[in-house]
Amino acid sequence: MIIPEIAFYLFSVVAIASAFMVVAARNPVHSVLFLILTFFNAAGLFVLLGAEFLAMILVIVYVGAVAVLFLFVVMMLDINFVELRQGFLQYMPVGVAIGIVLLIELVFVLGTWVIVPEAKVFAEAPPPANVTNTHALGQILYTEYVYLFQAAGLVLLVAMVGAIVLTLRTREGVRRQSAFAQTHRRREDAIEIKKVLPGQGA
Amino acid sequence: MQTFLYEDIVPLFPELTVATAAIVLLMVGVFRGDRSTRSLVWAAILALAGALAILVQEPERSVIVLRGMFVADPFALFAKVLILVGSGFALVMSISYIEREAMDRFEYPILILFATLGMMMMVSANNLISLYVGLELQSLALYVVAALRRDSLRSTEAGLKYFVLGALSSGLLLYGCSLIYGFTGTTSFDALTDVFTERGTQPSLGLLIGLIFLIAGLAFKVSAVPFHMWTPDVYEGAPTPVTAFFAVAPKVAAMALFLRAIIAPFAELTGQWQQVIVLISIASMLLGAFAAIHQTNIKRLMAYSSIGHMGFALVGLAAGTPEGVRGVLIYLAIYVAMNVGTFACILCMRQKDGMVESIADLSGLSRNHPVRAAFFALFLFSLAGIPPLAGFFAKFYIFVAAVNAGLYALAIIGVLASVVGAYYYLRIVKIMYFDAPAEPFVRPIGGEMTVVLGVTGAFTLFYVFYPAPLVAAAQTAAYALFP
Amino acid sequence: MLYAAIVFLPLLGAIAAGLFGRLIGVRASQLVTCLALTLSGVLATYGLYETAVVGPDKQQIVLFTWIVSGDFDVSWTLRIDTLTAVMLFTVTVISSIIHWYSIGYMAHDPHIPRFFAYLSLFTFAMLMLVTADNFLQLYFGWEGVGLCSYFLIGFWYDRPSANAAAIKAFVVNRVGDFGFALGIMAVFFTFNSINFDTVFAGAPAVAGKTFEFLGAEYDILTVTTLLLFIGAMGKSAQVPLHTWLPDAMEGPTPVSALIHAATMVTAGVFLVARCSPLFEYAPTTLAFVTVIGAFTAFFAATVGLVQNDIKRVIAYSTCSQLGYMFFACGVGAYSVAIFHLFTHAFFKALLFLGSGSVIHGFSDEQDMRRMGGVWRKMPVTYAVMWVGSLALAGVPFFAGYYSKDLIIESAFAAGTEVGYLAFYLGVGAALLTAFYSWRLLFMTFHGPTRAHHEVYEHVHESPKIMTVPLLLLAVGALFAGVAGYDAFVGDGRAAFWREAILVLPGRDVIEAAHHVPLWVKLLPIAIALAGIALAWQFYIRRTELPGALAKTHADLYTFLLNKWYFDELYDAIFVRPTKFLGRLLWHGGDGRIIDGFGPNGIAQVVIQLARRASLLQTGYLYHYAFAMLIGVAVLVTWLFTRTGGGAP
Repeated sequence: MIIPEIAFYLFSVVAIASAFMVVAARNPVHSVLFLILTFFNAAGLFVLLGAEFLAMILVIVYVGAVAVLFLFVVMMLDINFVELRQGFLQYMPVGVAIGIVLLIELVFVLGTWVIVPEAKVFAEAPPPANVTNTHALGQILYTEYVYLFQAAGLVLLVAMVGAIVLTLRTREGVRRQSAFAQTHRRREDAIEIKKVLPGQGA
Repeated sequence: MQTFLYEDIVPLFPELTVATAAIVLLMVGVFRGDRSTRSLVWAAILALAGALAILVQEPERSVIVLRGMFVADPFALFAKVLILVGSGFALVMSISYIEREAMDRFEYPILILFATLGMMMMVSANNLISLYVGLELQSLALYVVAALRRDSLRSTEAGLKYFVLGALSSGLLLYGCSLIYGFTGTTSFDALTDVFTERGTQPSLGLLIGLIFLIAGLAFKVSAVPFHMWTPDVYEGAPTPVTAFFAVAPKVAAMALFLRAIIAPFAELTGQWQQVIVLISIASMLLGAFAAIHQTNIKRLMAYSSIGHMGFALVGLAAGTPEGVRGVLIYLAIYVAMNVGTFACILCMRQKDGMVESIADLSGLSRNHPVRAAFFALFLFSLAGIPPLAGFFAKFYIFVAAVNAGLYALAIIGVLASVVGAYYYLRIVKIMYFDAPAEPFVRPIGGEMTVVLGVTGAFTLFYVFYPAPLVAAAQTAAYALFP
Repeated sequence: MLYAAIVFLPLLGAIAAGLFGRLIGVRASQLVTCLALTLSGVLATYGLYETAVVGPDKQQIVLFTWIVSGDFDVSWTLRIDTLTAVMLFTVTVISSIIHWYSIGYMAHDPHIPRFFAYLSLFTFAMLMLVTADNFLQLYFGWEGVGLCSYFLIGFWYDRPSANAAAIKAFVVNRVGDFGFALGIMAVFFTFNSINFDTVFAGAPAVAGKTFEFLGAEYDILTVTTLLLFIGAMGKSAQVPLHTWLPDAMEGPTPVSALIHAATMVTAGVFLVARCSPLFEYAPTTLAFVTVIGAFTAFFAATVGLVQNDIKRVIAYSTCSQLGYMFFACGVGAYSVAIFHLFTHAFFKALLFLGSGSVIHGFSDEQDMRRMGGVWRKMPVTYAVMWVGSLALAGVPFFAGYYSKDLIIESAFAAGTEVGYLAFYLGVGAALLTAFYSWRLLFMTFHGPTRAHHEVYEHVHESPKIMTVPLLLLAVGALFAGVAGYDAFVGDGRAAFWREAILVLPGRDVIEAAHHVPLWVKLLPIAIALAGIALAWQFYIRRTELPGALAKTHADLYTFLLNKWYFDELYDAIFVRPTKFLGRLLWHGGDGRIIDGFGPNGIAQVVIQLARRASLLQTGYLYHYAFAMLIGVAVLVTWLFTRTGGGAP
């Protein structure tokens, strides 16, 4: 069983390294690409855990939708990232110090890590062997977690409404296309026929 | 297959009312457009009133439904009543503002409804996940309403800041939750209680750190120091009715959630989290008292005021006793009344050229508008905690609880902070009563404002004569947290 | 009930006029206080008759319990015996006459209700004092009188001199009061009670006992009574605590009359008489009292010779007469002292109100050098001033004759060295008294006028509201002596006083005073007449004499004019060092240290902190985010340090 362990460490190390590069990369496009790499590695870790459905969802949603959207935004908006990062070095020492302190403390935590034997009792029972991952999720999503599922739906609804509220505005001085108006334009509205008498002008 | 019984749904009726109303009103709004804003606001108020009616006629009991995700008990009832009342008042106060200041986006009442729904879910959460989902529902709606005035740079900036910092706090909260889950193997509050009480497990350090991250995330929502930084900017930048809403209902919900998430599940760890709460409580009280002194904007001042008040409320939480929880609940109730009243006064600060929010504009208010000045002074005195007004009793219960719990230093610092805090409240009173009159405000304040001022003013003034019902209700609610 | 009404009617009047004066108006305030006091006076007259003539023994009317603390049990009780009844009568009658007089005298003042409220309150405090049944209640009245005197002397608070005089009176009184308070504590320490009955009953047992203090033995009763007497000295303006009394003339004249005739200054005499059961067992104190009294009598009379302010002359005369009363007490003739207090109240009130009438007539002029030649213009005032002066000088058959001469005789009859000293000083003071009284009369009413022409033209007799009280008092000054002689000090005295005043057997100087040699009896009369003649010589016949005498004995003259330099002495010894110390503590201690680190310092720190706290709010998003992260890190670290890094 050496292969899964090798895979675990590989995924983990690459995930952490690429997560670091997301922050450290100078080019924002590189940052997004590193982010995608991080997602992939996280998906790999999920697969190792036997959660293949989550792994696929992660790839499809985060890599396929979110990260690509990020990429679009980064490329389409002409943001001067050099300017944005000016304060970065200035606050670097403080950030590093906080990070180190928290890291040391978390190492302490790991040092005292004791998995109580009874903890497994409280952990949810693993899905039966004959049920697929997706099936198992489906079974509890509408029963055990129906409340959360519906609530999450509301959260998404609010997010959608919010996005529309904040972006959909009627602005003055912007030309908009109206297909209805275009197709219903009649010749009379657009053209006025004038008889031009010779020697008089229009 | 497990099925859901009708009984499982009954405790959710208030939430369902609000949710359904929000979705229906959203449809109406989408088809009718911004013209319908005014009627939608009234409909939303009606929906909140309906939810309140359903809520109060429910029998008083403690039930846990939906697979342990949702709890309906007297504590939740108490907090929900406050939330619904606070949201309702905030909507009432915004009616004329919306029309005057061209903020007639029909989504406004709907987002308020969703935020209210999120708060109700928060106070009924019985699981770390339902806690988080409720919190996010509330927060998302709040981020949007803070930035609702897209044409105002300050409003947009406020929304953005709130959103980014809120995301950070959500991250902290989630990290804490995952640590807790990792070290205990459960996210359910009931199970968490059992982990310690029944098995007598020694809590590990990792769990404690998770708890601190959880506390940090919650402290952000109640705007306790050092997670308060968003508060002044957002209060100042957001449209005033939104600020009024921010100052009332979300604070109640977040504090109630704080109580529920800390008190019962981590009762065995009281010795540990108590120290943390004491620390942020002291920091909040002191910062709220000191930083407000130099403010010139009344909304910004109210932001620091609410930071300070949340610090006082946290004193009751730090006590960790039923008496302390009771104190917090009474504090919240009185805080709602005082803040709604104060913001009603602030919303009346309108000169010919539009709304003003500088403290200097209040100069000599007593000569131009004696009645308004009297009400404003009443609320400020109450906020300062001067007997016999309601605000005094709020602090009184809290400090008594702290002393009985042996937290003498905390109580003493609290009293000192309230002395410093009294300075800036009284300074406004002084400006209103003794300085040369500024330009007068626009005269008619509207019937709904009169009602709001009358109700909250009467509560603040006459609480001293009839405190029993509130105290009894808070008592019942507090004991619901202590099995 | 009767006595409670006597005591509390003035209080009701004071409340009505003081708190509701604006509401009910000037006229109603005057009427309600005057009527309340008049009623009180009428009741007190009946009370005197009932107590002294019909007389049950002493009555004690318990109003309610005041303080109970361990052995310390004090209640509000009215103690009614002959002494109290006499004082009640004197105080209420004189006070009510002064009230009526004030209506006229204060007619043009803008603060009439306040004035009448103070007058009535003052009277009430004095009544509380004389009806006290324990030392604490006595102290209450004592302080109440002091407080009201402060109000009244400083009544014209827009005058700096009045304020200064009020403060001086208050402060000098505090010195005495401090002794008095110590005395009360000593009484409680000795007798474990401050109720008069208990204390007086226990006095014989304590007599002669000593206590040790700083290595020396002291007689308990001597020390206690000395302390009490220091209080009496302050209140009754005895040397060296007399300096406030002349300055107190800054108050309106009715106030002077009230303070100096019937109330306040007599409190000290009353105290000594009331505590006669204690003083009788402390012969050393009695000797001290005699010396102080005799010296004050003489000293004040000498100063009175050269004063030019009409009220100050009378004020020093009061001081002098109080000296007489004290040395009467000192030689054991308490009842004679009270008798003199009683008669003195009438003629001194008469003299004050009469001088008030003169001042009124001269358009508020008080300096006698700018008066004169008006006896035809104000006949009533002139006549009553004569009556008052005759009574004061002790000319036969006027009130003062009966009491004052008996004091001098008692001092002789006491037969002790201090007695003889008091006798000779008393006789000398009598000569001076007669002289300055007639100096006052002659300078004020006779001779060519020295007043400004317009003032002189304007001089007029006072209105009826002022002259009628004067006439009433004149009647008192004429007949109070002869009427009271038998009961107070004559053969009826034992039945009159009963146990109100204690004189030890074998020390009854009054009996002895009735049997002194004839020359002793005649001497005061002769001396008084000589004094009058001398005054006539100086101020009517040869008016150049006083100036010449002042020139030839310039040192003596300035010495007297400056009141023996007491004020200057106190200023140098007490006032300036205290002011210096106070200034030092104020600027250095209070201003720099306490305010600097206390209120101002804290306020400064608060402002600084507030500025810092506002600066925290930079507006930069990443600052906020950093603050949150630092917060989390700090909290985690904090918890780590609290739990020691390991598992909790």
